[in-house]
Amino acid sequence: MRKLAIAAFLPLLAFGQTKVAPATTWNSIKFPKLRDVQIPKVEEATLPNGMKVYLLENHELPTVRGTLLVRTGNLFDPKDKVGLATIAGSTLRSGGTTEKPGDQIDEQLENIAASVESSIGESNGSVRFNTLKERVDEVLQVFHDVITKPGFRQDRIDLLKTQMRSGISRRNDEPHAISQREFADIVYGRDNPYGWRMEYENIDNIQRDDIVAFYKRYYFPANVILSVQGDFNSAEMKAKLEKLFADWTATQPPVPAFPKVANTPKPGIYVATREDVNQTNFALGQFGGLLNDKDAPALEVMADILGGGFSSRLFQKVRTKLGYAYDVSANWGAGFDHQGLFEIAGSTKSESTADTLKAIDQEVRRIRETPVTAEELESARQKVENSFVFNFDTPSKTLGRLLTYRYYGYPDDFIFSYQKAVSSVTREDIQRVAQKYLDPGKFVIVATGNPKEFGKPLSSLDMPVSEIDLTIPQPKSKKPAAAVDGASMARGKALLAKAAEAAGGAAKLAAVKDFTQTGTIQLDQTAGGLKVTQNEQWVAPSHFRQENVLPFGKVSTYSDGKTGWSSTPQGLTALPPAQANQIAFEAFKNWFSLLTSGGNADRTVNDTGGGKVEIADKAGHSVTVTFDAASGLPATLAYAAPGNPNGSVEEVYADWQDAGGVKLPRKVTMNQGGKHFADVTVTSAAVNTGLTLEQISKKP
Amino acid sequence: MNIRSTTRWRGAFAALALAAGLQAQDLKQFEKRVTEFDLANGLHFIVLERHEAPVVSFHTYVNAGSVDDPKGKTGIAHMFEHMAFKGTDLIGTTDAAAEKKALAAVEAAYDALDVEKIKGKRADKAAIAKLQGALDAAIEKAGTYVVPNKYPQIIDENGGVGMNAGTGEDSTTYFYNFPANRVELWFYLESSRFLHPVLREFYKERSVVREERRLRTESDPQGKLVEQLAATAMIAHPYHVPPVGWASDIENLRTDDARQFFEKYYAPGNMTISIVGDVDPARMKALAEAYFGRMAKRPVPGPIVSVEPAQEGERRVSIESPTQPVEFIAYHRPNQNDRDDPVFDVAASLLSGGRTSILYKDMVRDKRIALAAQADATFPGGKYPGLFLFVLVPAQGHTLAENEKELDTMLAKFSSEPIDEAALARVKTKTRAGVIQQLDSNQGLAQLLAYYHVNYGNWRVLFTGLEDIDKVTAADVQRVAKQYFAPRNRTVAYTYQPAEKETKQGDSK
Repeated sequence: MRKLAIAAFLPLLAFGQTKVAPATTWNSIKFPKLRDVQIPKVEEATLPNGMKVYLLENHELPTVRGTLLVRTGNLFDPKDKVGLATIAGSTLRSGGTTEKPGDQIDEQLENIAASVESSIGESNGSVRFNTLKERVDEVLQVFHDVITKPGFRQDRIDLLKTQMRSGISRRNDEPHAISQREFADIVYGRDNPYGWRMEYENIDNIQRDDIVAFYKRYYFPANVILSVQGDFNSAEMKAKLEKLFADWTATQPPVPAFPKVANTPKPGIYVATREDVNQTNFALGQFGGLLNDKDAPALEVMADILGGGFSSRLFQKVRTKLGYAYDVSANWGAGFDHQGLFEIAGSTKSESTADTLKAIDQEVRRIRETPVTAEELESARQKVENSFVFNFDTPSKTLGRLLTYRYYGYPDDFIFSYQKAVSSVTREDIQRVAQKYLDPGKFVIVATGNPKEFGKPLSSLDMPVSEIDLTIPQPKSKKPAAAVDGASMARGKALLAKAAEAAGGAAKLAAVKDFTQTGTIQLDQTAGGLKVTQNEQWVAPSHFRQENVLPFGKVSTYSDGKTGWSSTPQGLTALPPAQANQIAFEAFKNWFSLLTSGGNADRTVNDTGGGKVEIADKAGHSVTVTFDAASGLPATLAYAAPGNPNGSVEEVYADWQDAGGVKLPRKVTMNQGGKHFADVTVTSAAVNTGLTLEQISKKP
Repeated sequence: MNIRSTTRWRGAFAALALAAGLQAQDLKQFEKRVTEFDLANGLHFIVLERHEAPVVSFHTYVNAGSVDDPKGKTGIAHMFEHMAFKGTDLIGTTDAAAEKKALAAVEAAYDALDVEKIKGKRADKAAIAKLQGALDAAIEKAGTYVVPNKYPQIIDENGGVGMNAGTGEDSTTYFYNFPANRVELWFYLESSRFLHPVLREFYKERSVVREERRLRTESDPQGKLVEQLAATAMIAHPYHVPPVGWASDIENLRTDDARQFFEKYYAPGNMTISIVGDVDPARMKALAEAYFGRMAKRPVPGPIVSVEPAQEGERRVSIESPTQPVEFIAYHRPNQNDRDDPVFDVAASLLSGGRTSILYKDMVRDKRIALAAQADATFPGGKYPGLFLFVLVPAQGHTLAENEKELDTMLAKFSSEPIDEAALARVKTKTRAGVIQQLDSNQGLAQLLAYYHVNYGNWRVLFTGLEDIDKVTAADVQRVAKQYFAPRNRTVAYTYQPAEKETKQGDSK
């Protein structure tokens, strides 16, 4: 693959070139025979530890890159920990190694313009590197360390979990993404690894131990394939890799097969409502098939004629003739190891939603009912045949394909037999497979858009119409783990009653109808270093208002226990569920309610041992209180705050002072995930000032 | 076809740096394999031989884009780009002569309708309905001569892959790949569409483009926000206008608008073509002369004369959207030929290029207030003075205000303290490698060669530009940051959620 030395002389020949006459019509141009492609030779080896290695020399550029393919996938996620594979795949690299933190590796690699990245997808995992050749030894060492001794450091796990939560919160922002996701989930079924979805609760459930266990189960030499390509000598590279990975000897039982696809989707039209858009984004279809199915080539040609490009029927009809869409396409999804999706996708202005879906339906029926024309078939065949060379235009495509075939157990020459099968597809084959496989009456149709502007209702399409609920479920707090019995509950209530007595007595606490407190919160530098002035108000039983004065403006939040609002410098919004949860929690743990929980039928109070009392309610809120032995007053309060991505919070109390007959702490030290995080200083506190509901709920 | 701002991909590699003198070697290697020539009509060709596989990549770069759209006809550059796939007098029709008449009848019917319509309130409704009917009938009639999508179909059937086109603010590009034995077919097809374009199915295609706008802008909060940002930050200069055009302009575009645009801006001297792959340059030159030599020499239009005035104070604009918040902050900057151009590229890379960058470390990794905080040195185009853009995507539970404040703090620090020399060296090394990694794709190379030739006067700047990057000092970065990242020089565009309105957006209420 060296560059041709002769190239330097070619420009000189230009002077001797004879004049060319332009062809008058495009089809009068004669094409010379295309020269044969050179299929590069891939070296194969198995290292003593069982790792399979594929090497491909390519000296065009002074670079080296490699990929480790791992037999794993998010199809192996446990049901209550959807996202585990994704987190493990990413933190394998970002979480550093046992020797170096992730930050240090980031810097080391970027200093030499190299990269090592890892991830896990649906049915494979990979670790990749890329480097200039002069740095290959250093980068291979990092690559090795990441694969064989990942550190999975907590800080990067926490960072990723934060980012994945943000991802969940943003998953309904793009109409296109909604249609694609919902279509796939409905066809595959929401109750199995192919169609279930990662939720906040899953992420909360995933801990470092799970990640380490996942890694250990799947990352071992016999379960991986390594490929390296670029500017090196294969024999030297092989020796290098053998030496480098000699210390990786982990063994595990063979990884089981991926779960089978098994779902019978309910046909119908599923609407995801987005009232802020003026276009409907749709995805519709059914199950596709497997790539090694004997009908796959005919199905691919069928889908190509239906919706494969500019000359396809859907494009001609829906875009060119009707002008209804910018994009519309059909694809026969054929998976390597499980059924893909047959999917027609596109978008159209809201008013033409029903008409577009109708036009698509007609085209699907037409390809089943009448044979395609000889011209259509010839066109599709030529397309595949003439562009075949592009499967071999770079050496890396050959290597990538070989790896994929080996990974999924396909023959090395599969592409050639497949190509041959495509060339021999007949018009009858196409109609036969269209009739056998396509069932438009049983399609799943997902439409994301604004139903108020659909014009014709979608019910006019003679299929059941239902609404997709896009609500993102909030996490439920954990159930108490400790044993609960009559004795432990009695002990808990006694400890709490003692604390209530020390704080002014149950009667005084119960008589508090409102409460106002002002203070400052100083966040640590690591937490942003902000100083926040906070004002809290509460009116029994559940009205709560919090105002935070931040350097960029004031943020006020109010809830009556169910609904509320939030005001920021950007304006007023309805209280988002995440914040509503937080504020309901604040009301739950307010002193007057908390210390009198023993007499509250909706709450459980339980001594979990060691002087810790857990207080919980039916909404899933819970806190654990410890008490100061001398005064009986609460000493600490610990909880997993809803929506807080950074682990559990602990509040440590000091400086109890009287306010209207009850005692309240003036100093609160806040720890998060075991680390100091903020200091709260209460500057004033007052009870029963006559605060009204009107005042507390007044919008800024 | 895409609306693709060419500067977007440029951002990925324009920040070039160089250490070990590798650029001289690469440039030499390249010069051996590059042949350049101009046709008599001014059309410039760059041919790069790569004989690794029998395939070829073609890239046509027209030095005209949406900035050249006339007032009231925004979107016409993009509309013509769509029409360039509709065929010629010989491709896409069953009867060219009859079709020509039918298309003239469409225009006549449209003119007649317009005459009545412009009367406004005095217009005769019945007459309008009748004239509209006549127009629809004329369009229908012209459609009977069309062989739809024949032009792209020929490309498809001959094994063309990666066929597409893009209209940006500064340029319009057309590109695809053919097997090496189909080279002459490319010369035929590409020259024909610029020699004898037939603007058939114009009004159907207009609806398609209108859908494209709905897709990319009107149903996409970020698309809307980008449009508002440019329209607010730029006042006098046409970077103000979205490349797809304003909705009402698109809905009123006429065939003649497209023709006039084509005639003015598709002058051979305003076009550059690059060919990369398994080709013989002598033959390319002969074919170029035979096919493209037929294009008549026409005057090359000059650049836009409007100069964006200095901004006198911060501007803010917002979009109400039920989606999660996003914010763009844009500072005015000079154009790509300014001596500080490489400094902006280095600054963007220092701020947000990779996991060691300033904003990633501070906002994403350590404070965790942002899901992403990105800098883009050149937006929306580089040919004229434009913007240095920041994109802020807050992490869940964190606000735009918090993110904006933090970015301000980081930029204040960036402007007042010299940047760490190690970080500067790292950026230079990374970008040098970035250039090398680009050099193994025909399509990528074709794009780069044409782009550098047009925008920097010479394709060699792809390599020699590294020297300019290498000269950037910490003091340069600080000076430029101080000069340009000033509040009065910026425009902030952000989304906010509708107040107290129940939606079905889960978290995003």
